Amino acid sequence: MSKRLLGLLLVLPALAVIVLLFIVPLAASVVGAFEVEGGFGTGNFIKSFELYRADTVFTVLIVSLSTLLIGLFSIAIGGYLTLGENPRAVAILRWLYRWPMFIPFIVVGQILRTFLAKNGLMNNLLIGAGVITPMQATAFLDWRGIVIAFVWKQVPFVALLVAGAMASIDRGTIEAARNLGASRLRILIEIVVPQVATTLLVGLILSFVTMMSVLSVPLMINAQSPTMLTADIAFRINAYGDYGVANALGLISLVITSGVAWIYLRHTMKERA
Amino acid sequence: MKTILQAALAIGLVASPATAAELTVLTAGDQNMVDYINDYLGPLFEKENPGNTVRVVGTGPGDAGSQKITERFKAQADAGSQKWDTDVAVVHEKFAGPMVTAGYLEAYRPKIDTGKMVTRANADMALGSNVSGYVMPMFNSQTAIAYNPAMVPNPPKSYDELVAWAKEHPKQFGYNGIKGGASGVSFVMGWIYAYGEGDAKKLMNGPFDEAETKKWDKAFAGLKEFTANATLTPGNAGTLDMLSRGEIAMGPVWVDMFYSWQADGRLPPELKLVLPAPGMPGQPMHYVIPAKSPNEALAEKFVALATSPQVQAEGIVKKFNWYPGIDAEFVKPKLDEATWNKLFVDISPEDLAKYGKPFPIAPYNNAILEAYERQTAN
Repeated sequence: MSKRLLGLLLVLPALAVIVLLFIVPLAASVVGAFEVEGGFGTGNFIKSFELYRADTVFTVLIVSLSTLLIGLFSIAIGGYLTLGENPRAVAILRWLYRWPMFIPFIVVGQILRTFLAKNGLMNNLLIGAGVITPMQATAFLDWRGIVIAFVWKQVPFVALLVAGAMASIDRGTIEAARNLGASRLRILIEIVVPQVATTLLVGLILSFVTMMSVLSVPLMINAQSPTMLTADIAFRINAYGDYGVANALGLISLVITSGVAWIYLRHTMKERA
Repeated sequence: MKTILQAALAIGLVASPATAAELTVLTAGDQNMVDYINDYLGPLFEKENPGNTVRVVGTGPGDAGSQKITERFKAQADAGSQKWDTDVAVVHEKFAGPMVTAGYLEAYRPKIDTGKMVTRANADMALGSNVSGYVMPMFNSQTAIAYNPAMVPNPPKSYDELVAWAKEHPKQFGYNGIKGGASGVSFVMGWIYAYGEGDAKKLMNGPFDEAETKKWDKAFAGLKEFTANATLTPGNAGTLDMLSRGEIAMGPVWVDMFYSWQADGRLPPELKLVLPAPGMPGQPMHYVIPAKSPNEALAEKFVALATSPQVQAEGIVKKFNWYPGIDAEFVKPKLDEATWNKLFVDISPEDLAKYGKPFPIAPYNNAILEAYERQTAN
C-alpha cells in the first residue's frame, strides 16, 4: 500500500464523521428552510419575519450587549491579575474567577431564576441590608436576567484567555511605561489591551456564538416576548412540529454568527496584509 | 478477539432466558411521570410478573415530549422495522389522533378487562380524531386559576370578573405566555372560548373551518391589553413559584401540580383554586401500544394493571393528585372519603363537569397559538 493511500485511509474516519454529523445535517437544515408545502419557496422566511422580527432584533441586542460587558469585565480581571500589586488579592481573584466556567448554562438559569426574582435572594439581601425598601424591589427576570446569566457564565472563559495572553506579553513594555510615570489604568488601556486584542477578539467571538445557541437560559429566565431565537426555534418544533420555520430561524442565526466571524476574518486579514 | 466475542454472545444468550423480557416504556411529561413509573408502577408490575423488568424513558415535558415519541415511531415505520424499540408509550391527547391515523398503534382496548371501565368521551375522540380502542387514559388533568385568598378575598367566578380584577390590580395576575408550558396555553384557549366570536363548541369538536380562525381578532386585541397589565412568568413551575413568593396573587396552574406542590410544602397551604366560567381546558394522558411492540402481551398486561381500579386509586389519585382515567365509580370505592374529597376541595365535581373543557382540536389549537404570536406577542 502506498504511503499516500494509507494517509488517506487514516483521515477517512475523521472526514466521515464531519461529513455525516456536521455537513449533512447542516445542508439538510439549509434545504429544509426553503421547503414549503409542495416545493421550494421563501414562505418560511416570510413567516419568520412576520412573527419573529422583534425576537431577532432582541437576540442580537442581548448578545451584543453581553459580549461588550464580557469584554470589559474580562479586561478588568485580566488587567488586575497582570498589574495588581496586592499579591493576596491577586491570588484570591485568580482562585475565584474561574468557577462559573464549570457550571452548565442550565444550572446558571436555575440559580438566577430564584436569585433574581422579585422576592428572591438578591432583593431580600438588599432589603435586609436596608439598601432598598420592599416597595422598590423589582424582578430581574427579563432581558436583564439573560444578560446577567450570560456575562456571569462567559466572563471567566474570556478572562482566562485574556489573562494568559497578558501574562505572556513582554513585561519590559509595562515596566518602561511605569518608569515614565504612566498610571496602571493607562498602562492597561494603552499598552496591555492593544497587545492582547486578537486573543480578546477570539474569546469574544467564541462567546458570541455560544450565547447565540443557548436555549436553557432564555427558557428559564425569560420565556416572554420578545424572547431569544433559540426559544422560538424550540417552540416551532414542539408546538407545531414545524421544522420549516425552525430551520429558517436557525439559518437566520447562522447568518448573524457568520457576520461576526466575517468581521473577525476581515480584521485579521487586514492585520496580516 | 473472535473467541471473546463469541463467548460474550454465548453468555448473553444464556443469561437471558426466553421468558424474561424488558418492557420499554416511553413517557412524555414532567419528571413526575418518570417518577410515577420508576417508583410506583414499575416495581408493582415487576412484583406481579417476576423475571420481567420495566425500563422507563422520559422524553421531556409538554408537547415536545410527545413530539419526540411520534418522531421515533415515524422513523421506525419509515425504516420498515419489524420490531420497534417501544412497548408502551404515554402521550398527550394532541398526538393520539395523528398516531392512529398514521397506523402506528395497536387497537388493544377491547382486549383488556379494564377497557370497559373507560367512559369519558375524550377516550374515544381525541381533539377531533377518532381514537376509540387505541388509547387508555392514564389520568385526566385540568387547569384552573390558583389564587391567594389573603390578596383576593372574592375570587373571580368568570373570565369577565377576572379581567375586571386584573385591571384594578396591575401585575398581580401572572401567566406563562404560550412558550413556557401548557398552563399558559390553557389560559389562552379559555380566553378564546370566552371572547372569540365564533362557536367554542366547534373549536372543541371540529370540523376545521378556515373562516372560524378569522373571528378572534377582537379577543386577541383584548388579550394583548390584558397581558400588558399582567406579569409573565417563566413556565408552569414559574407561576407556582411566583405565587408562593407572593409576587403575584393569581395565575393559571395545573390542578395536579398545585396539589402535589402543596403536599410537598412548596406552596403555602392557604392558596386555593377556582375554575372560572365559561371554563378552561384540561387533557388526559393516554397509554398507547405501538403496533410493532416486541412484547405485545406483556405490554397489554402492563396497561391493564396501570388502569386497574386499585392502581388508579392508589397511584393516580392518592399519590399524584390526578383525576382518574377510568370511570370514577370504579375508583371511589377503593379510597377513603377524605382522600377522595381532597381532589374536590376547591373545585366541586359539578364545576368540573360544567367548566372542565377539552383543548381545541389540533388545527384550531395551532391556529390559536400562531394568532397569539402574531397579534398578542408581537
